[in-house]
Amino acid sequence: MDFDFSEDQAQLRDAVRKWVDKGYDFERRRSIVNAGGFDRDAYNELAELGLSGLYVSEDHGGLGMGPVEAMVVMEELGRGIVLEPLAQTLITSAVLQTHAPAELQASWLPRIAGGEAIVVLAHQERGARHHLDRCKAEAKEAGGQWTVSGTKSIVPVGDVADAFIVPALAGGQMTLFLVERAAAGVKAEGYVTQDGSRAAEVAFSNSPAQLITQNGLTALQEAADIGSACICAEGVGVMDKTLAITAEYMNTRKQFGVPIASFQALRHRLADMKMQLELARSMSYYASLKLKTPEAERRQAMARARVQLGNAMRFVGQSAVQLHGGIGVTDEYIVSHYFKKLTQLEMTFGDTLHHLGEVSNRMQDTAGVFA
Amino acid sequence: MDLAFTPEELAFRDEVRAWVHTNLPKDISDKVHAAQRLSRDDMQRWARILGKKGWLGYGWPKQFGGPGWTAVQKHLFEEECALAGAPRIVPFGPVMVAPVIMAFGNAGQQQRFLPGIASGEVWWSQGYSEPGSGSDLASLKTRAERKGDKYIVNGQKTWTTLGQYGEWIFCLVRTSTEGKPQTGISFLLIDMKSPGVTVRPIKLLDGECEVNEVWFDNVEVPAENLIGEENKGWTYAKHLLSHERTNIADVNRAKRELEGLKRIAKTEGVWEDVRFRDEIAKLEVDIVALEMLVLRVLSAEKSGKNSLDIAGLLKIRGSEIQQRYTELMMQAAGPFALPFIFEAMEAGWQGNFPGGVVANAPLAANYFNMRKTTIYGGSNEVQRNIVSQTVLG
Repeated sequence: MDFDFSEDQAQLRDAVRKWVDKGYDFERRRSIVNAGGFDRDAYNELAELGLSGLYVSEDHGGLGMGPVEAMVVMEELGRGIVLEPLAQTLITSAVLQTHAPAELQASWLPRIAGGEAIVVLAHQERGARHHLDRCKAEAKEAGGQWTVSGTKSIVPVGDVADAFIVPALAGGQMTLFLVERAAAGVKAEGYVTQDGSRAAEVAFSNSPAQLITQNGLTALQEAADIGSACICAEGVGVMDKTLAITAEYMNTRKQFGVPIASFQALRHRLADMKMQLELARSMSYYASLKLKTPEAERRQAMARARVQLGNAMRFVGQSAVQLHGGIGVTDEYIVSHYFKKLTQLEMTFGDTLHHLGEVSNRMQDTAGVFA
Repeated sequence: MDLAFTPEELAFRDEVRAWVHTNLPKDISDKVHAAQRLSRDDMQRWARILGKKGWLGYGWPKQFGGPGWTAVQKHLFEEECALAGAPRIVPFGPVMVAPVIMAFGNAGQQQRFLPGIASGEVWWSQGYSEPGSGSDLASLKTRAERKGDKYIVNGQKTWTTLGQYGEWIFCLVRTSTEGKPQTGISFLLIDMKSPGVTVRPIKLLDGECEVNEVWFDNVEVPAENLIGEENKGWTYAKHLLSHERTNIADVNRAKRELEGLKRIAKTEGVWEDVRFRDEIAKLEVDIVALEMLVLRVLSAEKSGKNSLDIAGLLKIRGSEIQQRYTELMMQAAGPFALPFIFEAMEAGWQGNFPGGVVANAPLAANYFNMRKTTIYGGSNEVQRNIVSQTVLG
């Protein structure tokens, strides 16, 4: 039982924090949002730090690191509310590395690690809501070539990504495919989402696809859980910064001739934010440390963590806006952007009510960190 | 980073588990699991069993006869005791006054008082709060006037938990009215059998007499019972408050009570009710998150690399959770938690409890009793003041 970070992990954190502080300030972020919510240069800078290859094995040109390193990185990106979808890269590289045939790995993982290729998960369908096993997209095989047809929604950087990991039913069974955006029959319509990042509706019409795994639901569940662990860590980073911004504001903003930090009603709200942050940080550790456990244990841990994180993110975001007063609801000031990020994170890979249902359904007689 | 305990820590846990299993009297653990009333004898019997093993002062260093356990070992010991249904160790002697005597008492005081605390023979009480001094403890007025080799103590303490059983009481008393209120307070040990000490139990909302008023009417206390220096008592009391950090969260007991809640929900037919069950699920998440928070504090203490000063958070969250599980237990029983039959909370009661499930008898009383947790030990509002100060810098 040890929650200290190693020297290497501390250095990794410092490197990412330095990039966020110096290379991704609020003005740059704003210009990226105005330009559509994604900047390839910024993504390349993350790749230069090695982060796009964080989960990719050294054989394929990556760093071969684990969930704790991913957590450290996502926390720091959260602190800067970075728009570029590194979490997607962590998810898809892990899925390919665990489930894809060797040749598919060899052709994609080095390019993902190097930042030349961005691969994202395209799984959300209208009607499926948070249920991963509900899928209408279909796959057919003819003459040794698979094709996929269907529509996926809110695909991160879907009109920019180089390829998608797409769940589709093949003979009634959920199967995962890799489909290139440049493939025939792929149509992506991009837009920005509430947090300022980019997404797309992606339609596939008999699009050529490469089989990743026929064990599709298992792999998709893994993908979603890696995503959930990323959300937990990112959320902790966002909340940590949100709390710091709010405390600073309370110390400087004066009303009735005194800093508003002197008002007990506001101080107590701030104390409750700190409570939620530390509970969330604890559960983010828990999520990342349980990510490699057997499926039932992992699923239970992720659901528990997401309930805690969801409640914390909503409370901290709403409270930060409230404690700022009028300036908190402006677009110009930074805190509303942290609030919107927290809101979007809560609704990604299952919302809090969904995860609460998962916890509820999985309850045993005993419960605890180790049960 | 690693979630798992070390093999040595796991071996330690197994040793403690086996010992507790063998030595915890079943009649006592049955009462604890059923939330029935514990007598003075129940509590002291378990204290003496622990004392004989050398584990009553489980947080003590070896030089004072304690086991010298690490923070993790202490946590594992607390967990095994809680899950097995051991009564809470009455903290006033071994957990509260003993560390102050160790840190600030002289050798004579240590030799005189520590053995009786370690063995569980002497029952200690705490004399802090007064009718006019709750959250504002430093305003306390109980006076101790030095007369030769004695102090003459006059005043009143209140909310003295289990003080009706107390043999000794450690008190904060006013020895000076000059300067700031905090600088005129001393830490005095008083024999409760002294002439002039009167104890009156206070009946609480659950019908029990858990706390007391204690009066001091010209009570003569030998000056040798003063801990440390006169007028430094506030410093010593603060040391005491900062001493035990993780156990104020009481997360291990919460885990045991969550099991109890699930049993009650099944018996009462609300386990299948999604709306009720989701409330249990929320509590389960709260308890796991609190446990992780506690483990983070333990890890920080173990490595000494980073300090995690979140005692206030642990107190707030732990107390809220204690209130929540008793609330849900009562709600699970619904109307069958309402009959107030005092004797039915006693082990072995043979009467007919309305609805036929006598296990429901103490649920409402426990709910009412737990309202104290967000009030005592520095109210949660006071804790929030402290937490916000750490955030605001």
